[in-house]
Parts: sequence; C-alpha cells; structure tokens
Amino acid sequence: MAKLTIYHAFILITVAYILIMSIFPMIYMVYGSLTNWRLGLVEMNFIGTRYYSDLVDDYRFYNSLAKTAYITAIAVPIEMLLGLALANLMRAKIKFKRLFRTIFLMPLFCAPVAVALMGEIIFYESGGPVNGILNLLGFANFPWRSSPNIAPFTVAMCDIWMWTPFCFLITLAGLEGIPREFNEAAVVDGASSWQIFRKINLPMLSAPLVTILMFRIIDSIKIFDIPFILVGGGGPGISTEVMTIYIYKVAFRNFNLASAAAISIVFLVVIIIVANVFLGRLRKHYE
Amino acid sequence: MSNARDIIKSFLTYLFIIIIAGIFFIPLFWMVVISIKNPIDQFTLGFIPWLQFEPTTRNWEVEGIRQANENLKALMNSTIIGLGSATIATVLGTLAGYSLARHEFKRIKNISLLTYFLSLRFLPPIAMAIPFYVMMQSIGLIDNVLAVIFIHGSAFIPYAVLVARDAFKSLPIAMEESAMVDGASVIKTLVRIALPVVAPALAAIFILTFSFSWNEFLFAFVLTSKDAYTLPIRIAESVTAIGVFFYALSIRQLIAVIPPIILGMLVQKYIVSGLTMGAVKA
Repeated sequence: MAKLTIYHAFILITVAYILIMSIFPMIYMVYGSLTNWRLGLVEMNFIGTRYYSDLVDDYRFYNSLAKTAYITAIAVPIEMLLGLALANLMRAKIKFKRLFRTIFLMPLFCAPVAVALMGEIIFYESGGPVNGILNLLGFANFPWRSSPNIAPFTVAMCDIWMWTPFCFLITLAGLEGIPREFNEAAVVDGASSWQIFRKINLPMLSAPLVTILMFRIIDSIKIFDIPFILVGGGGPGISTEVMTIYIYKVAFRNFNLASAAAISIVFLVVIIIVANVFLGRLRKHYE
Repeated sequence: MSNARDIIKSFLTYLFIIIIAGIFFIPLFWMVVISIKNPIDQFTLGFIPWLQFEPTTRNWEVEGIRQANENLKALMNSTIIGLGSATIATVLGTLAGYSLARHEFKRIKNISLLTYFLSLRFLPPIAMAIPFYVMMQSIGLIDNVLAVIFIHGSAFIPYAVLVARDAFKSLPIAMEESAMVDGASVIKTLVRIALPVVAPALAAIFILTFSFSWNEFLFAFVLTSKDAYTLPIRIAESVTAIGVFFYALSIRQLIAVIPPIILGMLVQKYIVSGLTMGAVKA
C-alpha cells in the first residue's frame, strides 16, 4: 500500500469538501428522482422511473432542449468569430490599444443579471434606445422581447455581448503565443495577410479555439440568468425556456422535486456527452 | 497604389474596432446616463448631460437614503459571501493545487484528479441547487449567508485548484527540495518557501473567485429570500409587477458591476489561465 503523506491529506480535504457539498447531494437526487419527492413532503415513497417515462411525451421538455440548442447555435459561432476577428486586429499595431482592450474586457466582469437587465433597458420596446433609434430612422417599434420568434435572438445578443470578450481574450493569448518570426518570415516570402492567417495563425490557434468552443458550448447549455431575467422566466410563452429554466420551474414553482431531479439527470447526461467530446483533447493540455 | 490600399485597410480596421468597442461600451454608459436622468426623461434618447437633459442627483438620493437599508444589506451580503467563498476556494485550492504540482499520486493518477476537478466545472448549477436546497432546509440554513458561502466555495474550488497547480508548477523545485533536505516539513516548506513566491497568483485566484461569487445569481436566488439576498437579486427586484424602475435598476447595476470590473483589471495577467482553468496559458 502506498504511504499516506500530507499530500494525500491536502487532496482529501478538498475532494471531501466537494463531495459533501455537491456530489453526495446529487447522488441523493438520483434516488429522489425515483420517488414522489416534493418540496414540503415529509415522507418519500419509491415510485420507480415514472418521472423518466413521463418525459417521453413532455413537449416542454423537448421544447427546452430545442431552445437551448437554438440559442447556443446562434450565440457561440458569432462570439467565436467576433473574438477571432478582434484578436487578429488587436495584434496589429493599433493606437489606444490598452484603452480598446480595457473596453473589450469590461463585459467579462459584469454580473449576468446586470447584463440581462441592461438588455431590458436597451431593448425596451416603447422608448428604449434601440427602438428609439429605429424610430428616428423611420422604422416601427421592433418586438425585441414580446415576439416569441425574436426573443431567442435578443437573449443570444445579450449572451454575445457578455461572452465575446472571453473568446477575444483567449484567442489573443493564443495568438501572442505564436512567435512573431513566423509571421515576419511569411511577409518576407510575400504572403498576403489572409494567407498568413489561414496557413499559419489559424492552425496554431486550434488548441485555444477548441478550449474556447468547449467552455462556450458548455456554459451556453447551462444559460439561466439572461433568459430568466430578460424575458421574464423564459417567455414570451415558452419561447426562451431553456433546460435550466424548465428545471427551475418544475422544482420551485410546481414544487415537484422528483420530476425536476429526473430532468436534471437527463440534462446532466446531455452535458456529459458534450463534455466528453472535448475532454480527451483538453486532458492533453495538462500533461 | 499600395499606399491607398493600406490607408483603406487601416481605416476599416479602426472602424470595425470602434464599432465593436461602442457596442461594448454604450450599454454601460447608458446605465450611467439613466442613473442621472429624471425618471420622466428615461425614455428620451438624449445622452449629453446639461445639453440634452438636465442631470439630477435625485435617483442616487432615493437609492442612497430611502432604499439605503436594503441596498446596504445586499452589498454587505454580497461582500460577506464573496469573501467567505473566495477564502474557502483559495485555501482548499492552494492545498490541492500544491499536492498536485509536487506529488505523483500512485493509486489515482494526477491526470485523473485534474480531470475530475475540471469536470466539476461542467456540472449545471441548477442540478446542484435542488438537492443542496433540500439539504440546507433540513439543517435550517435557508436564507442564511452560510449556505451560499458553502455552495459557492464548492462551485469555485475547481478554478482555484487548477490555477494554483499551474502557479506551483512554474516554480523551480530546487529551493523547496533543499529546504526539505534540511529537514523542513511539507507544510513548513509550503508556507515559508513556496507561498511567498506564488502570492500574486493566489491573490488573483482570490479576486477571481470573489468576482464569480459576487456575480453569481442562481444559487443565491434559490437559497435566499428576505435576509441573505445578494446584489444580483437586489437588481432583479427592480423589475416589479407594476413595471421596471429604470433609475433604481441602473444605480443598483452600477453598484454591482463596478467592483468586479476594477478587480478584474487588477488581475488581467491571470484572467486567461483563470477563466480556462489553466488550459490556455497567457
């Protein structure tokens, strides 16, 4: 048997803390999902997998999956492209570089709730600044938050505002890791800046880009604050009711903890599948 | 010929950068404008004080005096929860990060432990919140800052572990080894030799986890009601059934947003590895 050292103690304390606070409760949740667990109910009775089989024809469950994927599919590519473009431009010689960099980083530290409510102010339909400018240009008020077709885009826009800085920052760090000589040599050989980007910088950026993609997809699947606040709990109707909001409503509005636990576990499986696509690649960074 | 092209190119570059910078900056600027506008003017487009609208301190007075108790309470709770959970995360993260950097574990490999910490980052908070809520209810900690401190600590430990490990890994091991040869214990070596050198990184971890906790909404929202609410919840409360109080909203937003922005600027050097949990190095 390996000798126990103080190092083991250090790790054990940390792991134990996380186990007690997060993992054991979640294991309890697996049990809870098989019972008639409700908020305020004293006695839990085992009822089997009923809440799982209920999900099969729960259209709101499918709706929440679809909305999550939809918002992710709108927001993440735009965030990554904008981040990539900004990082490439900011690597060149630019005046006021520090000022711009500071402005680009500010949204990163804003509370998501504050961002959602900033969206509420900016996209306020009668008299908000965006519609105000549209009115000045002769357009009618645009239903940013009240139309079920537009609301997911408005949510995605707030997400883009908030997370493009993250993509920018990490891409820039990756770019700065590429030795300048590579680009200079290519310039001497007469390569155009597009060729340099396409043939040198983009391939060398693949590792940071995959990392960004993973963090953004996973965080975007877990999005809660912005649709919850900006459009009043996933509204209008259920047009922005993403997974987390649906789980929240089932648990804390219908008080049906068992059903919420069942959905959470399905949700967890979805996340694990997505994460596993990336995790193997990410592991390499630590070796 | 190529000169003209260069000028157009750099013009387009600046145009793009300025437009994007404007998109990032204007919402924040608009909050400041709304906070000094009369509530009557809140739906006008003017943004130049004195020229386009008459600035007023009325809103700040209302929020600072009539609403002072609630706002101060939220500020206090956010600060206490931030400090508490950042302390838990930084201390435990440092211990685990140090052992991962300096010891080869046999039974469970280091890389597996690292992946374990990394994968915790993927857990959806809502799935943690439901059982944690029931757990806290059973020990009577609902609407208590302690509950939020505990869960935030747990949620942000993975960041701390991975960043701390990076910081220790980048230290030359020779000094610590010679201290050990001289008979110093692991704890003594860590405290006397390693900690002073990585102190800036640890301060950055503390500041980052503090900001994460400060901005976190879901756990705080589920676990608190009328006593332990934090600033994000206080902000969300400005949206009521009778409408949105934009002036109150903007002031509370500014109070919530400014501290993390300032703190974030202090730790710019560590943000990249902090946010990617060490997967990308700055």
